[in-house]
Amino acid sequence: MSGSVGKSVPRLDAEPKVRGEAVYGVDFELTGTLYAALVLSPVPSGRIIGIDTSAAAAQAGVRAVVTAEDAPDLRSGLALDDEPLFASDTVHYEGEPIAAVVADSLKAARRAVSDVIVNIEESPPVASLEAALTEGAPLVHENWETFAPVPGLPEWPRQGNVVGEMTADPGGVDEAFAGADHIVEDVFVADRQYQAYLEPKSATAIYEEDRYTIHVSHQYPWNVRSRTARALGVNPSRIRVIGHHMGGGFGARLDVGLEPYAALLARLVRAPVKLVFDRSEDLLTCNSRENAIIRIRSGVMNDGRIVAREFLCDMDCGAYATDTVFLISIPIFLAGSVYEVPSTRVVARAVYTNTTPTGAFRGVSGTYLNFALERHTDNLANTIAMDRREFRIRNLMDDGHRMLNGQILTDAGIMRTAFAEVEAVAPWADMGKGPNRGVGMAATLWLTNPAPGQVTLKLDVDGTLGVITGASEIGTGAVAMGVRQIAADELGIDPRDVIVTMPDTDVQGHDGGAQGSRTTHIVGRAVREAGTGLREQVVRAGARLLGELPDDVEIGDGHVSVKGEWNRRVTLAEVATQALYDVGPLVASGSYATPTPKYDPDTAVGLLFPTFPTPTYHVHIAEVEVDPDTGLVTVLRYVVVQEVGKAITPEGVIGQIQGGVAQGIGYALYEGLQIGEDGRYRQRTLEAYRVPIALDVPRVEAVLLEHPDEEGPHGAKGAAEPPIVPVAAAIGNAIADATGGAINRIPITPEDVLDALAENRED
Amino acid sequence: MEFRTVGSIEEALACLADVGDEAQVVAGGTDVMIQHMRREINPSLFLYIGNLCEMEGLTKNGSHAIGALTTHRHLATDPLVVAAFPALAEAASTVGSWQTQEVGTLGGNLCNASPAADTVAPLLIADAQVELRRASGVRRLPLDEFLLGRRSTARLPDELLTAVTARPPGERCGETYLKLGRRSAMEVAIAGLAVRLTFDAVGNVESAKVAACAVAPRAYRAVEAESVLEGSRLEEGTVAEAGRALVDSATPIDDARASASYRRHVLPGLLVRAVATCRERAVEQR
Repeated sequence: MSGSVGKSVPRLDAEPKVRGEAVYGVDFELTGTLYAALVLSPVPSGRIIGIDTSAAAAQAGVRAVVTAEDAPDLRSGLALDDEPLFASDTVHYEGEPIAAVVADSLKAARRAVSDVIVNIEESPPVASLEAALTEGAPLVHENWETFAPVPGLPEWPRQGNVVGEMTADPGGVDEAFAGADHIVEDVFVADRQYQAYLEPKSATAIYEEDRYTIHVSHQYPWNVRSRTARALGVNPSRIRVIGHHMGGGFGARLDVGLEPYAALLARLVRAPVKLVFDRSEDLLTCNSRENAIIRIRSGVMNDGRIVAREFLCDMDCGAYATDTVFLISIPIFLAGSVYEVPSTRVVARAVYTNTTPTGAFRGVSGTYLNFALERHTDNLANTIAMDRREFRIRNLMDDGHRMLNGQILTDAGIMRTAFAEVEAVAPWADMGKGPNRGVGMAATLWLTNPAPGQVTLKLDVDGTLGVITGASEIGTGAVAMGVRQIAADELGIDPRDVIVTMPDTDVQGHDGGAQGSRTTHIVGRAVREAGTGLREQVVRAGARLLGELPDDVEIGDGHVSVKGEWNRRVTLAEVATQALYDVGPLVASGSYATPTPKYDPDTAVGLLFPTFPTPTYHVHIAEVEVDPDTGLVTVLRYVVVQEVGKAITPEGVIGQIQGGVAQGIGYALYEGLQIGEDGRYRQRTLEAYRVPIALDVPRVEAVLLEHPDEEGPHGAKGAAEPPIVPVAAAIGNAIADATGGAINRIPITPEDVLDALAENRED
Repeated sequence: MEFRTVGSIEEALACLADVGDEAQVVAGGTDVMIQHMRREINPSLFLYIGNLCEMEGLTKNGSHAIGALTTHRHLATDPLVVAAFPALAEAASTVGSWQTQEVGTLGGNLCNASPAADTVAPLLIADAQVELRRASGVRRLPLDEFLLGRRSTARLPDELLTAVTARPPGERCGETYLKLGRRSAMEVAIAGLAVRLTFDAVGNVESAKVAACAVAPRAYRAVEAESVLEGSRLEEGTVAEAGRALVDSATPIDDARASASYRRHVLPGLLVRAVATCRERAVEQR
């Protein structure tokens, strides 16, 4: 057996998932379960005058009706402690939980929800970023000053509706602008994007022995544990979180959702409680990708150099801070990278509005930041009449590039290789030719999430290898294939002989969750750490069995053999069985967390997410055709060159690239959660919120650039998150090229395309 | 709420005669069940007629009659329908998804009277009539008169829509249905256009029928555009003029799918494509 790393392997969870046999969180049931439903605020803003639960409580089958009075009087959050479980005095967004009903059946619970009478005195909502930032705008939270950062986080600049402000101003930017030949300024606007995973949010909890056990399908069970503990005011060890199969997440299952409610209700009714959203509830309350406005201004010289930049970004965090306060750091990594910009000022703000709280979505903020940067890059090139690709190559960063946070990218020159690879596959001069066709390019760097992971390996008596890890399989195959392959190769066995646990916070060490492409990189590395310890034990036990010294035996092909004597060997099963009674079970553990890259903390104020660990490099190119009558866009060709460190499972990585591009095409052309002036979402079902279908997505051509990372297992870096990042930019640039007009909004609607065509005709 | 299944048309009609006011007829349920879940309708009785197989399929008995329970998938794939009513088959193939096409019915699409109903426009250009039966008799109504407005039809509470009769394209005739949506499939029309052109022996348009959907409270025949096209040889200027007439006849709205101005804007372009397809098909047919 020559090892499975680098090969595509069968995916063991595929068949039960396809057959419908896999038990997802939403399918999971405990004996004697009661069902709950939430009373959600019907209005985006107002004062609660009264809540009458008597009619609901009197309904047949109703066990309890719960309001803020029954919940701990606490506010908590990911960064800022600003969110209560139930609204008590005021509601801040349409969909905010006000009460919960527990009943014998889901149907009874849902029916009783409509009998809870909530009397709300409505007030005009702060429905947009512009409204929230207007001088004298009403405050979304009048008591914002009383909110404290979560323990361990320092205070950061915030004021009124601005819940976070990050500023990086190295000085000399205005002087650099003064010396520029041209100054180009653009404004870009992006709508929200709903994660639209297949499985709606759910949670099932039981309270026993003064502890809460919560069954979830969640990307980050350890965060469910800590966030639920804080929402309920108990120690984390009082919460046990058990993971089940997950029907997608894309970031929407990183913060807690229904879990604290299920836990609280289970304690109050002393029975297992299951909560599950229907699709409309899920969509209306989901922490979708935030809407944003970006203002970008650059100074450029006639010879093609970019000399100065100002990058201003406002992100809508909705009614609570969630994780957007962290995301305002992301612009500092992107605004002055990929292309060298010697002098750059960045100001990014997170802003409260009376809308559903936003949050993490694959490629957090990077999708629209890259759209703004790369659309602007095209505009800079066009301003000085330089070819857009040549302009990019001219300004490209190289090895040793210094990011705005002071972090040095030692290998940034790989970006040049990526541009060359794109050229080899899809020559720039040949793309986008013909009437109504256009070509666009976009490049980005992206990070690999550094959060810690832990693995215990145990060699079983039948020679199979157990991997005990809290890592969650979000669907990418990072656990089902990547971690399993890395573990198999530690002992030279077939990946099918590796058994991986589901997450259980009582059982495994902390895991940083299925986020930021970290699982293969971090958990895979922890597997290697554990593997070193396990192999030592196996070698010693095997040598004993063979009557040899440990130095004279080796592990391979499912055996321990005497070096140089292929026919003197014992199986791993024999080794494990014998060892059981000689030295005890063969078990070893490993832990890993990415070392924090060096950076300069003085480069910015309000930088809560200060570094960009384990960067990867990406270039995308898109060819489109626009229909001049209807404004519809067809993506004719799409090529991705992605630096991956090492592809543990090439087919898996390519699948993630295809999926990321599909999701990016949805973001660019079809999706978009719009907020009306009334503060409500205009798209409230999947009939109105359009995700792309197979017919809308071309076959994506992917080139994997292998460039092994020193830290990663076998050199692997993160791979699954970033393919979505440059898609809107590449397609936006291609449409702008095809139409000759401005494309400054996400999503790009057929009407925008027709406007761009008309603009070009007027010129 | 009661869910009642009937085994014959007579049984259905008897039931409607009895409690038609409170009943909601349901077959595929692809519209009705969604409306019920959204609490837009709350009938005391669902009358399930999906078992009445005598109301399925195309019959040629002098005129062409299509049973009200014929599914969209049937319309889209049955060679008899595709040959007799190509625009209707095209339209049916664009309704929702394969899953909903498999159960959704022609009668349901007509009775639901959505402004964006795909099957209406191709039936309007085929001079369709609906057959409405009641316990005491039957009446036939031009589809144009059956549709009163958005979600509103001339069906009386005790009547059942049992069939649709329509005239297939004749000699030197071509027809098509074009649907505009954001996605390539699984869409509700932003605009839809059905056109049937009959040419004389020398290639002039002898008769033009143009029907549009999703650009007014109900699908309608754009008679002004038709009269511009009739007698012409589809010169560029004539088709453009017809396009302007078509735009003038539309009364679209702004909604989350598209703006009224976008809906108007796309109509002339769709008409150019539709008449070109009609001409090709008329030539092929000959």
